[in-house]
Amino acid sequence: MNPQPRDIAMLVVRPVQPRDLPALERLAGSATPRLTNLPAHRDRLEERIARSTRALAREVDFPDDEAYTFVLEDLELGEVVGTASIRAQAGAMDAYYTYRQETLIHASQQLNVRREVQTLSLSHETSETTLLCALSLDARYKGTSAESLLRRARLMFIAQYPERFASILAVAFPGYLDAHGESPFWNSVGRHFFARGFQEINLLAGVRSKSFIAEVMPQFPLYLPLLTPQARAAIGREHPDHEGALEEMLGEGFVRSRHVDIFDGGPVVRGERDRLQSVRQASWHPVRLRPGNVLPDAEPALIANQQLGGFRCLVARYALSPTGQLMLTPEHAELLGVEEGRAVLAAPLALPTVLDEFDEGET
Amino acid sequence: MRIRPIERRDIDELQALAWQTGVGFTSLPDNRDFLAAKIEHAVSAFEERSAIDDRLYFFVLEDDINGELAGCCAIEAQVGREVPFYNYRLGTLAHSSVQLDLHRTIDTLFLSSDHTGDAEVCSLYLRPEYRRDRNGALLSKARWLFIAEFRDRFPDKVLAEMRGRFDENGTSAFWECLGSHFFPMNFNEADRLTGLGQKSFIGELMPKFPIYTPFLSEEARACIGAVHEHTRPALEMLKKEGLRWEGYIDIFDGGPTVEAYIDDVRAVRDSASYPVEIVDEAASVERPTWLVATSNISEFRAAWIGRGPSADGVLTLSVDEARRLDVGAGDRLRLLET
Repeated sequence: MNPQPRDIAMLVVRPVQPRDLPALERLAGSATPRLTNLPAHRDRLEERIARSTRALAREVDFPDDEAYTFVLEDLELGEVVGTASIRAQAGAMDAYYTYRQETLIHASQQLNVRREVQTLSLSHETSETTLLCALSLDARYKGTSAESLLRRARLMFIAQYPERFASILAVAFPGYLDAHGESPFWNSVGRHFFARGFQEINLLAGVRSKSFIAEVMPQFPLYLPLLTPQARAAIGREHPDHEGALEEMLGEGFVRSRHVDIFDGGPVVRGERDRLQSVRQASWHPVRLRPGNVLPDAEPALIANQQLGGFRCLVARYALSPTGQLMLTPEHAELLGVEEGRAVLAAPLALPTVLDEFDEGET
Repeated sequence: MRIRPIERRDIDELQALAWQTGVGFTSLPDNRDFLAAKIEHAVSAFEERSAIDDRLYFFVLEDDINGELAGCCAIEAQVGREVPFYNYRLGTLAHSSVQLDLHRTIDTLFLSSDHTGDAEVCSLYLRPEYRRDRNGALLSKARWLFIAEFRDRFPDKVLAEMRGRFDENGTSAFWECLGSHFFPMNFNEADRLTGLGQKSFIGELMPKFPIYTPFLSEEARACIGAVHEHTRPALEMLKKEGLRWEGYIDIFDGGPTVEAYIDDVRAVRDSASYPVEIVDEAASVERPTWLVATSNISEFRAAWIGRGPSADGVLTLSVDEARRLDVGAGDRLRLLET
């Protein structure tokens, strides 16, 4: 990613408002691939907005069934161009189903052989984690720092309100689909039990609920050797359009887990909230207003205000005065709704690059 | 021709039989030590020296003209006592959701040891040159007379494992699709080890969770409960006795395990005991339908005889028949009219 803060000077992430409904509909319809948890369904999207508003109005001591939805607004165009959500608990109202990859040792002393047999077992382990989900961004902004802003503004929110979230965060990436939009994993697994195509079941899952379908999934573990080679290759493999996103989250400190999506086999990454880069490196600075033309050059940063319902996050230069004040243009201060002297939370936009490795540890 | 318990002196001929049976005849591997041990096991069973749950009643079909062994058969008093007895049970799981307008049933294989403690009729082999004169039926049915005569030595249920379907190259599609993923050997090797009684590897290497059959290939699914074409007559004979396929199959080749409550087996239910008289000359029909067996367990004999009981309930035997069965006047025989 090549951050160019100037280009996105007028972009801000904020909580969703009822008036954003048409924009959400548009974003839900344009997500590639279609997201299970962001169906282009007006009633569901209306509920999503109401739920987010309720969550922000509620006093929360520990995570429950809150779901927070944010939008990315381009104020220059006056358009909402992205959305992303947080579910305080992935399976608060029902269970969050994943397949957990397991290895069983089949050993025979008699024959002096030892075989590792891979299985997939339905799991509810991810239910208690906080889930970052339902991200859709207007295609014009893909590959710009707007994408990082939308994705990671949620971490800037979580960093401020740890009591509202679990200590483990998870992200489920859309799984691999072939050129025809078919999921080889679904075709080898779910289709046997539902006799429906992946896109159809995905839509149903979004409009109804995924757990409600998961309850009808086969309850016994599946032996990998009995799946098609195409399905096995899709296990833990992300959709090609989401490679960059996965890479960024790995840079944040998320690690691949043993869990994959039950429909498409897409990877579920998990991270300890307090060890994620954006959370760990975030620090508070009092604001000092400076005109744009005298701001010193500096690395870009995510900058968020500290208002729960009026949360705002944007990308600006991480320009610090010698006394530790964050120098902001009056325009950015206005977008954040802060005056001189108020504190903002800032974290560097750049992340270390990490090797994409499967987590070897227990999850 | 007569059925009698195997004896120690039969070892050479038994080994020749074992060599003839070839691959797929699990219970009779061509291994002298193993066969000798099998004979010992049988001898102690017929002499009633071993516990009733650990008995193998192994019979031979003897040509009483030249003394040759024409075939063999056996009854295992209780399977699964020494080593686990595994089957797959083909079960049905409903996947149903009103909201999804979904109702499907999924055939699923469950690893089971449900038959632990049941009797098994097994090891039936008849040399090709003796496949005539109802010798096959004699081998198969003599076991029912034995069980009927010594009913208190047997449990409630009996089963028989039938050889599964193989293609013209001797390959089992069921094995290729399922077992081969879990056992680092080919079918014949797995089968050989099983025949030697070294079955512990099955439990160690076998998948323990149920197998949803839609994950198997079409060819493999077609093997579930299907028999080898050569096994079809044997299966038909058992079915006539009332044995049924209840969904259990062999874990290697998918062949059916048929079963019944012993008291419901036709030959057990319909056989009855009659006193014997012996005459010099007794008229015989060409194709006898009367099967008889003696009531002495260690000297057990079974054979066809040429006529049924008289109106007053007496079985008349010729001198030859009496000699074949080692019975004298006044002894009793169990008779099954087939």
